[in-house]
Amino acid sequence: MDFIELEAIEGLRWSWNSWPASKSEATALLVPLSVMCTPLMQSTELPILPYDPLLCSQCGAVLNPYARLDYTSRIWFCPFCYKKNPFPRSYSGIGETNLPAELFPTYSTVEYSFFNPKLNGMSSPSSSMSLTSMSMSMASSFSSTSSLSGLDSLRKVVGPAFVFVVDTCTAAEELGALKNELLLVVEQLPENALVGLVTFDSMVRVHDLGFSECSRVVLFHGEREISSEQTQKFLGLARTKQQYLGKTPVIQKQGFLLPVSECEFNITTAIEEIHSSPQVMPGHRPLRSTGTAILAALGLLEGCLVNTGSRIMVFTSGPATLGPGIVVDSDFRRAIRNHRDLINGHAPYYSKSSSFYKQVSPRLSDASIVLDLFACSLDQVGAAELKDPVERSGGFMMLVESFESSQFRKCLRHIFSRDEEGNLKMYFDATIEIVTTKDLKICGALGPCVSLHKKNNLVSNNEIGEGGTYMWKLGTLTSKTCFSFFFQVNEEHKVQPGSAFSIQFITRYRHGNMGIRKRVTTVARRWVANNSPEIAAGFDQEAAASVMARLAIQRAEDCQARDVIRWLDDTLIRFASKFGDYVQEDPSSFRLSSNFSLYPQFMYYLRRSQFIDVFNSSPDETSFFRLMLNREGVVGSLIMIQPTLLQYSFDGPPIPVLLDVRSISPDVILLFDSYFHVVIHCGSKIAQWRKLGYDKDPNHENLRKLLEAPEVDAEQLIVDRIPVPKIIKCDQHSSQARFLLAKLNPSVTQNSTYTDGSDIIFTDDLSLQVFIDHLQALAVQG
Amino acid sequence: MFGMPPPLPNQSMTSVSPAVGQIGAPVAGASKIDPNQIPRPIPGSSVILHETRQGNQANPPPPATSDYIVRDTGNCSPRYMRCTINQIPCTDDLLTTSGMQLALMVQPLAIPHPSEETVQVVDFGESGPVRCSRCKGYINPFMKFIDQGRRFICNFCGFTDETPREYHCNLGPDGRRRDADERPELCRGTVEFVASREYMVRDPMPAVYFFLIDVSMNAIQIGATAAACGAINQVIADLPEGPRTMVGIATFDSTIHFYNLKRALQQPLMLVVPDVQDVYTPLQTDVVVQLSECRQHLELLLESIPTMFLENRTAESAFGAATKAAFMAMKGTGGRLLVFQSVLPSIGIGALSAREAEGRTHLSAGEKEAHKLLQSADETLKAMAIEFAEYQVCVDVFITTQTYVDIASIAVIPRTTGGQVYYYYPFSAVSDPAKLYNDLRWNVTRPQGFEAVMRVRCSQGIQVLEYDGNFCKRMPTDVDLPGIDCDKTIMVTLKHDDKLKDGSECAFQCALLYTTVNGQRRIRVTTLSLPCTSILSNLFRSADLDTQFACFLKQAASEIPSRPLLLVKDRMTNLCINILLSYRKFCATVTSSGQLILPEALKLLPLYTLALIKSKGLRTDGRIDERSFWINYLSSISTPLAIPFVHPRMVAIHDLNSKEGDQSLIPPVISLSTEHVNDGGIYLLENGEDCLIYIGNSVDSDILRQLFCISSVDEIPAQFVLQQYDNPLSKKLNDLVNEIRRQRCSYLRLKLCKKGDPSGMLFFSYMIEDKSSSGLSYVEFLVHVHRQIQLKMSS
Repeated sequence: MDFIELEAIEGLRWSWNSWPASKSEATALLVPLSVMCTPLMQSTELPILPYDPLLCSQCGAVLNPYARLDYTSRIWFCPFCYKKNPFPRSYSGIGETNLPAELFPTYSTVEYSFFNPKLNGMSSPSSSMSLTSMSMSMASSFSSTSSLSGLDSLRKVVGPAFVFVVDTCTAAEELGALKNELLLVVEQLPENALVGLVTFDSMVRVHDLGFSECSRVVLFHGEREISSEQTQKFLGLARTKQQYLGKTPVIQKQGFLLPVSECEFNITTAIEEIHSSPQVMPGHRPLRSTGTAILAALGLLEGCLVNTGSRIMVFTSGPATLGPGIVVDSDFRRAIRNHRDLINGHAPYYSKSSSFYKQVSPRLSDASIVLDLFACSLDQVGAAELKDPVERSGGFMMLVESFESSQFRKCLRHIFSRDEEGNLKMYFDATIEIVTTKDLKICGALGPCVSLHKKNNLVSNNEIGEGGTYMWKLGTLTSKTCFSFFFQVNEEHKVQPGSAFSIQFITRYRHGNMGIRKRVTTVARRWVANNSPEIAAGFDQEAAASVMARLAIQRAEDCQARDVIRWLDDTLIRFASKFGDYVQEDPSSFRLSSNFSLYPQFMYYLRRSQFIDVFNSSPDETSFFRLMLNREGVVGSLIMIQPTLLQYSFDGPPIPVLLDVRSISPDVILLFDSYFHVVIHCGSKIAQWRKLGYDKDPNHENLRKLLEAPEVDAEQLIVDRIPVPKIIKCDQHSSQARFLLAKLNPSVTQNSTYTDGSDIIFTDDLSLQVFIDHLQALAVQG
Repeated sequence: MFGMPPPLPNQSMTSVSPAVGQIGAPVAGASKIDPNQIPRPIPGSSVILHETRQGNQANPPPPATSDYIVRDTGNCSPRYMRCTINQIPCTDDLLTTSGMQLALMVQPLAIPHPSEETVQVVDFGESGPVRCSRCKGYINPFMKFIDQGRRFICNFCGFTDETPREYHCNLGPDGRRRDADERPELCRGTVEFVASREYMVRDPMPAVYFFLIDVSMNAIQIGATAAACGAINQVIADLPEGPRTMVGIATFDSTIHFYNLKRALQQPLMLVVPDVQDVYTPLQTDVVVQLSECRQHLELLLESIPTMFLENRTAESAFGAATKAAFMAMKGTGGRLLVFQSVLPSIGIGALSAREAEGRTHLSAGEKEAHKLLQSADETLKAMAIEFAEYQVCVDVFITTQTYVDIASIAVIPRTTGGQVYYYYPFSAVSDPAKLYNDLRWNVTRPQGFEAVMRVRCSQGIQVLEYDGNFCKRMPTDVDLPGIDCDKTIMVTLKHDDKLKDGSECAFQCALLYTTVNGQRRIRVTTLSLPCTSILSNLFRSADLDTQFACFLKQAASEIPSRPLLLVKDRMTNLCINILLSYRKFCATVTSSGQLILPEALKLLPLYTLALIKSKGLRTDGRIDERSFWINYLSSISTPLAIPFVHPRMVAIHDLNSKEGDQSLIPPVISLSTEHVNDGGIYLLENGEDCLIYIGNSVDSDILRQLFCISSVDEIPAQFVLQQYDNPLSKKLNDLVNEIRRQRCSYLRLKLCKKGDPSGMLFFSYMIEDKSSSGLSYVEFLVHVHRQIQLKMSS
């Protein structure tokens, strides 16, 4: 069974592909019953169905190939709850030879596109009745829900909204680069997209884009935490007062969030006129009110009742120094918090600011708003505090050093890239619903989502991550966003080994063209008897490693690193003890079958990765790494956990080599990929040749080729990866080589007696071999 | 000269003889008085030359309203400081007996006559001016140097100080220092010292002007915003040049809009502060900018503000919040805040209610408490004002309105910060912009100072009882003046705390520490030394009517908001009666008990008192805001302007052409009586603020055409703009108006009046000598006063 092939069809990776039929046995597996699900995985064969899905009237499951059909009486039996459902009239032609696409056994995944806004209000001329009634109902619903009068014309569909929140404490050159990028974004936005601009320093300025006489901004005091109602009142979005006075409600046209088509000139001018705030007192950080700026943007979007999805995109260059969400005092004598401060409780604002941002999360979720953070700074900006709303809304986080960097440019352009039809490749306002057969229960999910707390009898009381629900809200997702879902065996059901169970994932989202789509994936697996060899055969060690990584970082949020490591070690030992093949008390007899063999290595690299061992990272970086891991698919997460290493030499084509210090050699080039960094490491000899200019010598054509090959491959690696990794080119023994050395297995250290001419790593960390030795010794103890 | 019985040779007095024995019947009595015989002001036509001291004696100053040129020969010019009585009573009893007030009118930055010597600046260098080490009185011509000039005796506290070595100079045979005539501080009543470091708590502040303009719906619709912007735009050119001049601008309705005037921006940037309950302000560096840096931006902005808000439908006005926000923007430096307000502040901090209307609906309850409407309704504004003053922000409010705005409450801010209220009611977009511009221009161009502190010191025996004017007082001895200008006068009432020695002199010294527009710190020291007397008749002889009456006015103005009107009127009448009674009782050589005898110096007191009683502030028929304005106007008014404000000047202008020979631009003054107003004439009446031109019903149409370019009385425009036409009459009228403007330092609100029209009623309400609903005729009043004196004499 090739899990990767299966993934290409289903978009799923199962830690276990065959599930034991009892709960106790499932618990004994140690790696939970879980599915890594990439709901919108790109697939060439995905059928798009231009009609509504047919739902089971009882459990809400969508008609799928597993349903039993009765063509004569035109009914179908729901495979999840066994309810009889009649086919509607539109399915009248159904027959064994005439099946709709969703019933094709080969289509485990189909997508319904049942609300196409482009057709909206354009019904056939014969049904003029329905047209009027529809437009009337739409009109009334708009007037009652939206203050964006004039925008919701029936013919024009309102696009997604983007509020750019720009930190003006940024230095002039940096700001210039940012402005150029923003101008480019605005220029390339679809005409119906709504835009807003908020700038901040010690004050927050919401720019009025509908005012033509001069530039106009509404000013908020950076130190004050403003409620949604206040924000709307201050922006003139609230209409209650006039109604209260009994006057005819004057709907004042707001100009803070307008379609690009209406305000292109104004927003362009506004962006061009953003200037760096004047320099602050010497010895002080600039006064930044990031928290209030986010609140203002949020209040604006809430007030405008945008229901087509929206993003608050924060571009900042430093930490918040006042107001809600403060990270550090403006006085430079107060250092910004590090991990040690957090552990010792020496970060006076951390918990208050974190909880402030945690309160922002549900508001974002309720209004389908995504919060993105683009931090371009040499220092920390407070990403750790901001992580919760960014992660839960599915927002984007980027930490780079400069707005002038190509990483930033590429990321921003990638986010705003468009598909062949010219729609933004952004999917907003999504929900994932899971329907299962009654023999299992849903425990929860890990990933950029929020539990909607919708319960039915399929929802387990045992919550893992975002639990207590069969439906989750996602602010946004991409074709790569991956969630891990956790399940358990339903004890109340007598499960027959050998019988099948099914799970259906229903992902409802707003497509880039603003139409609503539903992607439905229905899959089935088998129950197997306890201790059946099928269990071990169905183990997907890569999926298991990424699931365990997510569980570990979730634990790390609340526990100290050493507790997490202890938990990982403990689980691994018991796991090895269960699935290893060995003679009791004889470590040398320990063996693991091939589909388990790499798992201990994964765990070894995970426990010394930056996700768990935060010693060398700032809290901001840690937050960023964990946020990325928590949404990345199996393949990507594995690279993050255990980076890949390729060796280029004159001896032949590039070959993968061990992530080990012994792989370093003077006459090879190494290409190292840890997902966040890509390192091209030239051996000392090659570096010397290059310095002597041999590569430019036509006689040494092969050297030039050797030097080029890893660079070409590196470009290939990063082409689809967002945020764009940092490429580091370095030579053996140079300072930049530390990015590579830090990740290598320290098999040769200063303590090694025999180095065999290899480089050594100065560390007291235990090497993989020692780790495995310990593991084997402990596993065989029983 | 008054066509009255000549005064007795040995007494400076005027007597008037109403019917003897007819006291009980005033009406009948009145008929016996010849109205042409009673005292009336006759302005002297020629310029008086006045030396402040002659023969080492203080010289009583000419009337404040007259035209005079001063030579400072030791005492200060009366323009800067004058006393209600030019001899100081030795005892408190004597003063009480006289019934008169003892007070100083101090106008420290008054404008001198062009022919007068300017105030000399003395620089003592780092050590600062020489002062008495005990009372800190400044060196002045009355400090007595003794012991070969090694020591000097302070003329205030009597302490003997060592002369600083570098200031030492030998005495001449006359006992004066040999250098006395070369040193201004030893021979001039007014000098200005350059302040040394110890007089500065910070560097002298720059000249900061912040303009705050109401752009609410009403302000836009009546054209007030446009007028304000236009005026400011013109005035920018008049602001002091140089890098020390900073400007800022903001507009407001229910929110506050600041403008970033930085040159870097393509177009003005409006920064809206929406929170009017808890205001804040943008970065100061953005909104208060050097004038030289933003001149073009500012002009562009001022041109576009009226159109920018043309469609504004916000009726609310956040005056308090806007003022506070503007204050916060200029808090770092201090400066002048000029607010243009058009409606009742209705929202945000310091919001007010339309209590005038509320007062009308509860008339029964309101009558008794009517004066409460003249009090400030709101403590918030008061607290704000004190904070403003603390940070040296001086607020002027230009009220351009057609409705009630509650001046009584608003005025607290300018009054506490050394500013003033300007009132344009009912605002007219046709006739008022010119005055608005001129008022604003004068406001910023007139001689003025910033961040000032003033104190008056007196010789032993006298001390300051109270200061009265537009300032903030945080210490009992000093007054803080965030802004002080040439028009502002402070009344200083005095009291005895000891007996003075007859024949000695009592000195008063006003020291004003301030920053000039150019950023220099100066101390202006004004010293006045007056003889002491224990003879009552001396007091009457040296009484200064104008100052005395200005003092009355200010007291009335401050009492009106706190007492029922009737009480105030009675008190004012009694003040007048008591003075005359005292004179009658103790000084007059009585020939006939039936005669009303008036001291020569105070002979106009009854007329002025009558005028006061009939003035706007003491009548109930006026609008609350107009009365409030009247009260506030008086609080800082100077002595020369106080008299005409209640006793206006009326001249005929239809016959300007006929007096060819006369040099004076101002034609002879006509008494304020209907009998002098003919249907065939045109009369101009002015009080320094308003100027009414009454056109009789049967005026020659030729004159009308020449003056106003209209052919009949019916064509009189409701809103009048004075224009000069190509004829001598029109030119003379223009010359006349311009001369009055010059004299009053005021542009005047011109209005045409005609009979049978509210405008005509307004004009006739100034006919003080007539009997009217608001009071007795002049003759009747004299009889009334006389009868009261008789009653008190006999009791």
